[in-house]
Amino acid sequence: MALPSKSGLPISRQTLIQLIVYGLVCLAIFIFPFILDNDFLLNRYARYLVLAMVAMALSLSWGYAGILNLGQAMAFGLGSYCMAMALKLRTVPVHTGAGGLPDFMVWNNVESLPWFWVPFYNMPFAIIAGIGVPVAVSFLLGWFMFKGRITGVYVAIITLAALVVANLLIIDAQSVTGGFNGITDLAQLELFGFTFDAYSKSTYFLVAGCLTVSLFVALMVTKSKAGLVLQAVRDHEDRVRFFGYDVASFKVLAFCVSAGIAGLAGMLYTVVLEFASPTFLDVSLSLSIVIWVAVGGRQSLLGAALGAILVAGTQSSLQENEFFLDTWMLIMGALFVLVVLFLPNGLASLVDIIGRALKRGRGPAQRSTSSPAQTSEPAEANVSKQGAE
Amino acid sequence: MDFVLQQLLTGLSIGSILLLVALGLAIIYGTMGVINMAHGEFLMLGAYGAWALKAFFGLGLLESLVIIFIGVAALGYLVERGVIQFLYKRPLDTILATWGIGVILQQSARLLAGGELRYVEMPSILIGQVNIFGVSVAGYRVFIFAFVAAMFAITWFLFYRTSFGMKLRAVVQDQSMASCFGINAKRIYSLTFAYGAGLAGLAGALVAPLKSVSPEMGTTYVVDAFFVVVLGGAQSLFGTVASATLLGEMNGVLAYWYNDTIAKALVLLAIVVLIRFRPQGLFSTRIRS
Amino acid sequence: MSGHLQITDLTVDFGGFTAVKDLGLTINKGELRCLIGPNGAGKTTTLDLICGKTKPTRGSIKYDGKELASLEEYKIARAGVGRKFQIPSVFKQLTVYENLEVANCKNTGVFANLFRPGHSSHRDGLEKLAEFVGLADQLDLPAAYLSHGQTQWLEIALLLARDSELILLDEPTAGMTAQETHKTAEICNRLKGKHTIVVVEHDMGFVREICDVISVMHQGQLLAEGTADEISADPQVREVYLGSMGIGDA
Repeated sequence: MALPSKSGLPISRQTLIQLIVYGLVCLAIFIFPFILDNDFLLNRYARYLVLAMVAMALSLSWGYAGILNLGQAMAFGLGSYCMAMALKLRTVPVHTGAGGLPDFMVWNNVESLPWFWVPFYNMPFAIIAGIGVPVAVSFLLGWFMFKGRITGVYVAIITLAALVVANLLIIDAQSVTGGFNGITDLAQLELFGFTFDAYSKSTYFLVAGCLTVSLFVALMVTKSKAGLVLQAVRDHEDRVRFFGYDVASFKVLAFCVSAGIAGLAGMLYTVVLEFASPTFLDVSLSLSIVIWVAVGGRQSLLGAALGAILVAGTQSSLQENEFFLDTWMLIMGALFVLVVLFLPNGLASLVDIIGRALKRGRGPAQRSTSSPAQTSEPAEANVSKQGAE
Repeated sequence: MDFVLQQLLTGLSIGSILLLVALGLAIIYGTMGVINMAHGEFLMLGAYGAWALKAFFGLGLLESLVIIFIGVAALGYLVERGVIQFLYKRPLDTILATWGIGVILQQSARLLAGGELRYVEMPSILIGQVNIFGVSVAGYRVFIFAFVAAMFAITWFLFYRTSFGMKLRAVVQDQSMASCFGINAKRIYSLTFAYGAGLAGLAGALVAPLKSVSPEMGTTYVVDAFFVVVLGGAQSLFGTVASATLLGEMNGVLAYWYNDTIAKALVLLAIVVLIRFRPQGLFSTRIRS
Repeated sequence: MSGHLQITDLTVDFGGFTAVKDLGLTINKGELRCLIGPNGAGKTTTLDLICGKTKPTRGSIKYDGKELASLEEYKIARAGVGRKFQIPSVFKQLTVYENLEVANCKNTGVFANLFRPGHSSHRDGLEKLAEFVGLADQLDLPAAYLSHGQTQWLEIALLLARDSELILLDEPTAGMTAQETHKTAEICNRLKGKHTIVVVEHDMGFVREICDVISVMHQGQLLAEGTADEISADPQVREVYLGSMGIGDA
């Protein structure tokens, strides 16, 4: 386990190995386009990387802080709409005239651009909003929940309800959000003199860069003292409180960092898919994110990210085959049930299990072989039951 | 006056359907702490059961109810034995596992029955309108109301007046203690889960004539049902009734003032605020821990 | 007269049931005070009230001149109050060392901790603490693997890592073997003087081993106060609690 070395190295051996593995995976992601030179496929893989980002963000709040956020897609969707609004305003003064009013507003008889659209003419503002709006919403929601000591199942339900509300409101405000159709026919993102065509290497690299940065930011959070406190909160919230930590603030922090990364991912999703739609913040996407994380490993940032790539990737490649088009969902459901039953910490825990098996084969048996997560389950269940009463 | 009554009855009608759907969920959540995300799919299967029994065996809706109840309950029993029983100590994971089961059931229905919408006929004797204090109400809705009341009475009797119910309540209080006194807790849990699933099947069959039958139909109902259960408080059957009525009326009134979407959003927001301040539900009392 | 920990007129009502009623306690700095009494006497509730887990209906808890009764738990903890729970409460998925690291915190703010590494430089100090409670060999073992007794000691070590001046111990020897109980008594005796300690206990042998002054509670009220000998001679105490056995043979 974690052995902070006494040899003067500022980080533990385990952390070092982790950094190397994370670095190698990110490197592989960057090298990938030089092996595969197909813009259509690159676009698809860029999409998976975006999904990996949002999954990784959920792992941060769920796996490390114990906040099962069933509304993760809310932050994601808000980010994507911010980017879509900015890109919509960049299209050539649209079809109907009227001061460059977006086409769907014209169809809905809107006379002038609503006030909250105006600042989106400014791209830096839009990018800040794409992260800031989800963070602000999550801050309010998180503060509201965690100050009231809402935990476990209730957090899941409240976040789910918040997501449904956001989704309903966006669909309902058709005249300013495009309703069911979302915001389509967007301009391409231009930043620092680059144009990011969705079907090009440039967009892929943009996404890969953002994924790498956010992955390491999240890793830093988990390796900080605050990250350790969050894991303690996941284990035993009250105990942490009696050490003098304001638990709510720590949870809000995890919730907001997670939302910020999800918002960034949402913006990139709009760039990659070239539209924003209410389906980006619907319940089924949100639950899919939970699945990816559960399959990959909720307590591993990289595991969650790879889980998203693996599941989403398998899904679209299998669906090209006629047989799997219909049975895919069956396979997915079954896989999910099996993972929850037998690998509660996801595929990432396989690495640990195999590692221990190898060690046992090589040298004298280690003292601890089974996962501590499992042994501590009864106690945890007790705690959450008490909390629920 | 008529108008107020009309609104009241609309609310009651929505509330009775909510209760019908939520009752099974409430039982399962209240007794075992399992959030059954597959509940909507059990409901969907009930609706398909009603359609299939008519299409292949010519059975009318009312005659089919018993078969549907038994069929869906049997499936619920299998699900409990095969998956849920391993997860009682990980309540959050039951959300995930049951959701996976829901996905499987939904896709199976799509594969077996096809993706197109199916329709279930209303029993002909229930088609007319009924006059209540000068307001005419669809006969079928009155029937649902009466049926729900009956199901609730049966459930209450089962839980509070039979030895099964007493054992169940003992298991809910303290499973290991109950086991020590010779109660087969596993069996009690399996049967309760099966009963909850059967109720969902009945709910599906009964709502089928009101709307079309599709593989996705369960999802919309289950979210609402969830909120009913949480609002009512897990431990109390009467809480579930009260919260279903309250939500039904709120939906009815708000939908009149605003539109359906905004009404739904407002109801959800109200629920969020209520959970925040009373996580134990509106209708349960605090105990000394 | 005013002590280091001064409790006056402390009362708490649970919907009609009064668990603690008009309780007054004065504890001096560096003192080890035992709180005994039959089940339901309100001992654990008293600790709950001091550490903020339960809010009093009325009354005051002054610690080091500071009123605790209205503060939130984490602020009470920051004031220097540490609590060991009846059911051992440690972070089972974290290692013993990480447990100590979480507890050891001068600055508990969010952002201060965001930019601080999870494994800090004062490992030596924490290792000494682990040694103090006999867990030096288990530093890198997840707490889930500790025995019951070891878990109890770890929780005490956590309070020391937190640097709590006032330590509240709720039945620290419950479920321990005679040997483990003896070791716990040793730990308590070594802490005496440096920390102010309140112990709730049933094991009279243990109480005799560590205690100067004993407070006896009955039905939420203070029944008697004095040394072990005085208490065991008190006829009222014998009646409600000790029976005819007397302290020492329980």
